[in-house]
Amino acid sequence: MILLRLISWPYVRKHLLRTMLTTAGIVLGVGVLVGMRTANETVMGAFQHTVDKIAGATQLQISAGDTGFEEDVLERVQSVPGVRTASAVIEAVAATDLPGQGNLMILGVDMTGDRSLREYSFESGDEAVIDDPLVFLAQADSLMVTSEFAARNHLQTNSRVPLRTMEGPKQFTVRGIMKAGGMASAFGGNLAVMDVYAAQKVFGRGRRFDRIDLAVKDGYTVPQVRQAIQKAIGPGFTVEAPTDRGAQFESIVAAHRISINISSVFALLIGMFIIYNSFTIAVTQRRYEIGILRALGAGRGQIRTLFLMESFIEGVIGSAVGLALGMGLARGMMGQIGGLIESLYGLDQPGNGVLSADPWLLGASFAVGVLTSMFAALLPANEASRVNPVTALQKGKAQEISEKETRLRGWAAVIFGAVAAGCLVFGAYRFIFYFGFLLTILGALLLTPTIALGITRLLRPLLSRLRPVEGALAADSLIQAPRRTAATVAALMLSLTMVVGFGGVAGASYHSITKWMEIALNPDLVVATSDNLASRTYRFPASLGEAIRKLDGVRVVQDVSAPRIIFRGKPILLVAIDITSVQQNAPRRPVQGDETTMYREASAGRGIIAAENLAELQHLRLGEVVDLPTPAGVLHLPLVGIVEDYSDQQGTFLIDRTLYKRAWNDDTCSLFRVYTAKGVSPLEVRQKILDRFGGQSKLFVFTNQELRNYILKITDQWFGMSYAQIFVAIFVAILGIVNTLTVSITDRRRELGVLQAVGALRNQIRHTIWMEAVTVGLVGLLMGLGLGAIYLYYMLEVLRRDVAGLRLGYEFPVSIALALFPVILGAALLSALGPAEAAVRGSLVEALEYE
Amino acid sequence: MNEANARQKAKGKRQKLQVRNRCVSTVLLPFAFCLLPFALLLSGSRCLAQDARTIIEEVQKRNRTASQRYEGTLQVIDNKKITDKRWIYKRKGSFGESKSVLIFTAPAEVKGVALLIVNHPDRASDQWMWTPSLERERRIAFQDRSTRFFGTDFSFEDLEERDAGQSDFKLLGDDKLDGVDCWLIEARPKEAKQSQYTSVKLWVRKDHWMFMQAESYVKDTLARRMNYSDFAAVQGIWTARTLTILDARRGSRTIMRLEKLAYNEPMKDDDFTIQALRREGS
Repeated sequence: MILLRLISWPYVRKHLLRTMLTTAGIVLGVGVLVGMRTANETVMGAFQHTVDKIAGATQLQISAGDTGFEEDVLERVQSVPGVRTASAVIEAVAATDLPGQGNLMILGVDMTGDRSLREYSFESGDEAVIDDPLVFLAQADSLMVTSEFAARNHLQTNSRVPLRTMEGPKQFTVRGIMKAGGMASAFGGNLAVMDVYAAQKVFGRGRRFDRIDLAVKDGYTVPQVRQAIQKAIGPGFTVEAPTDRGAQFESIVAAHRISINISSVFALLIGMFIIYNSFTIAVTQRRYEIGILRALGAGRGQIRTLFLMESFIEGVIGSAVGLALGMGLARGMMGQIGGLIESLYGLDQPGNGVLSADPWLLGASFAVGVLTSMFAALLPANEASRVNPVTALQKGKAQEISEKETRLRGWAAVIFGAVAAGCLVFGAYRFIFYFGFLLTILGALLLTPTIALGITRLLRPLLSRLRPVEGALAADSLIQAPRRTAATVAALMLSLTMVVGFGGVAGASYHSITKWMEIALNPDLVVATSDNLASRTYRFPASLGEAIRKLDGVRVVQDVSAPRIIFRGKPILLVAIDITSVQQNAPRRPVQGDETTMYREASAGRGIIAAENLAELQHLRLGEVVDLPTPAGVLHLPLVGIVEDYSDQQGTFLIDRTLYKRAWNDDTCSLFRVYTAKGVSPLEVRQKILDRFGGQSKLFVFTNQELRNYILKITDQWFGMSYAQIFVAIFVAILGIVNTLTVSITDRRRELGVLQAVGALRNQIRHTIWMEAVTVGLVGLLMGLGLGAIYLYYMLEVLRRDVAGLRLGYEFPVSIALALFPVILGAALLSALGPAEAAVRGSLVEALEYE
Repeated sequence: MNEANARQKAKGKRQKLQVRNRCVSTVLLPFAFCLLPFALLLSGSRCLAQDARTIIEEVQKRNRTASQRYEGTLQVIDNKKITDKRWIYKRKGSFGESKSVLIFTAPAEVKGVALLIVNHPDRASDQWMWTPSLERERRIAFQDRSTRFFGTDFSFEDLEERDAGQSDFKLLGDDKLDGVDCWLIEARPKEAKQSQYTSVKLWVRKDHWMFMQAESYVKDTLARRMNYSDFAAVQGIWTARTLTILDARRGSRTIMRLEKLAYNEPMKDDDFTIQALRREGS
């Protein structure tokens, strides 16, 4: 402690800016880790909270994906021994025209039996005084709202609430107000309850239910009843506890989770290099002090402990600030993740702005931050402990890397590279693949000093030609201090590797999606039930398709059902469409399988087509018989083709609509794809559809361009996270340059002072520093682009095998790479301006006394 | 009348066959809207409680009719709030094989809402509700029978007839209620899972062999109390024209008044179907 107070504290005070910049590495690493994970957890937690609140006393839930099921399933479930009560449910999101209220989650339940499952906590504490239950059931416009919603909109019993329904805008009557808390707290109070049969009507469900919620009788266990129900209703249904719905939701955000983990690891790795560099320099600068301490009898352990303690304190401060930053980041990201999920899945997830910070995550992140800081300082601390008073006076010696070390690093890198290549051969195993990925990065880091030295040597003639004196001085300074240069370059390289990786994935995705849209999304118009195409709240009756078909100027109408179903425990998209019509109007070449056979078998209902990403994620092979759960039982269909399709991140199956109608006993439609006759303007047809049907049912008509814009908007949202990561990476890169160059130049004040003393002009000094900074930036940039090219390959593989199953073409993000040159070199130059001015304007005597 | 009684006796014999392993005859009581207490599950064990069973059988005998029709008013008094409703009630047959239809006629918001009940001698009844605004029926699940009947103090279970063979009962003694001499009888369902009630205490007035009061218990706690009043002989059948039910847990009351009572009118089976509900409710 005495050493810390006498030796470390004055040093920190003297180099406060540097200390802060160094600590910023940890702040960022911990911040990104905590921010991204907390945002994810909060959205997940909000979802689970909502599920729990709505589930009430429900112990099991029965569903069949988005398709719903026939009413008779309820009776079959109710007759299973062990079922105490089972109640049908319809869930729908409906827009309300009340100003500023957005959407309402509508829960359609059968009030005769549902009260034993859910506590509605009516405002008066007693249902009878709120409303007449018979009137509630008798009138299809009855609605119960939460007290929160009622208060916000000044609603009382018998007030009217406008809602957009499948039958067009309708007025509903408030016939009950639920107390705050309990179920009413779900969706931030934007929840309303109506009779399940009324919900069937206004949300176009026909005679189907979305779900059955049930509770088991005393004396029976939940697994027992679950098994009995599954046996009674068949394998086409999912029977699960309400908590299991969270697991499905989690799989939706799994892609984010992987991306977040990689980003966090990189952020910490970069932070580690910044700390390593700063401590290396600090050790160099304080060699004299260390020498004196050693001469006075301080042991090696004490010196090592001194530096480790410094790094520990820095780690603690950095981690603490990082936690705060992370919570701020989480707040920003939460809306983004929630918005993305809403637009992708039509699921409104207001988190009420309340972050759910996991104490374990916070504790672990804090520990990781501190340990990273100490680990980064370990080598410099060891170095410091080996200093002896004699070499302590020989400035610069410690920055050299011995030939032996270079040779060792080289060999290690070669071995790592070879093993990494081997891992690619056996990359089918996840662990081996990721191990190879790690070795590649480590190999690149080991080679950093050698490659950085090589590039600098190559640049030296160029620099000398630009400015004979300053250029040579700048290059030599970097060459003579390879350890310092390498650490700066490594931090920069890692940051830019991330930039290239994320940019490359985003670019490749854009390219593939655009290409796919050209082929598959070619209808002139799309008639949907919602302005959010992913919403599955409403369904069209098949008769609407028939009616559109009869309009003048309409050539083809494709009826599409696009429910989400559970396949092997994952929610995937099932697209039921007239396959023959697809072949005629939007033919797609299979990436696997014969085109003619694929269309022939699928259109006859004898086969199923899978999206490439689904086949990849679920390891489906051509010809394999796929077991598709339907309410009528399991449908066994051979996989007759695999096509490129980006409709859904979890994957898509395509089947013929006739088969779907038969197996699911559902002829409702999610949307209609409309092709107009030759020479007829799609806008004209759109107007006709709106004029003819807009008043009587809820429909939205998109032109092809609007549809594409919508998909690109979702893609933008999806990659919004990547762009955020890119910006963070660039910021870290700039921070790294600023930090290390500031340190490096300050470190060489004596050398620069000597140069001035022997007659060097101020401008020469300035130019030397500037050139040195730009050179470091350039070397880091070139190496970052190089490693980024490899990293991009791994990222595409991760995306294919573990995230979305998408086989995206490799495209190096040239435009991003080119844009990085002015950004990074400019940042390097800017970061050198201050230290350069300080170096030339400071006292020469003081500079010569430095160290 | 005699023909109707003969038919009823024949049905009674069939019921006995269906539950032939039981040591008691099947005695079913009509449901509350037929003026008798809520699904009382009354049955008698000749061996153990001969007197109680004889009393119940006599009550049954005196109330047995081929059909019943009345117009009723329903008043729910809950926390100073009073709601009134009117309906028409029709029943064909008696006891376990009867079918009933109840159609609300007022207020306007509930007009046309109907309930069809098909009773069975050996199991719980089937019930459907018809909602004109949705133009569709809904089935009332067996497990929902303990819930309140449309905000009244009756439960759906209180509306159904149950197999008397499913209960045991015993005579607790004599009692006096409002100055009227009564027998006090306790009925307990044999299968507790079939009913929300653990037991029912019945006060049967000795002068007219009519129910005077019924108290239903869940475990030892009073759940509902039904009082019968305004007795009159309609077509020679003594009938309580006012029924008051108290929900002891909620403290609310429902008063039911019967008007335009008629027994043994000819009725068609077709009038007791979901199609008939659709026809009459619309």
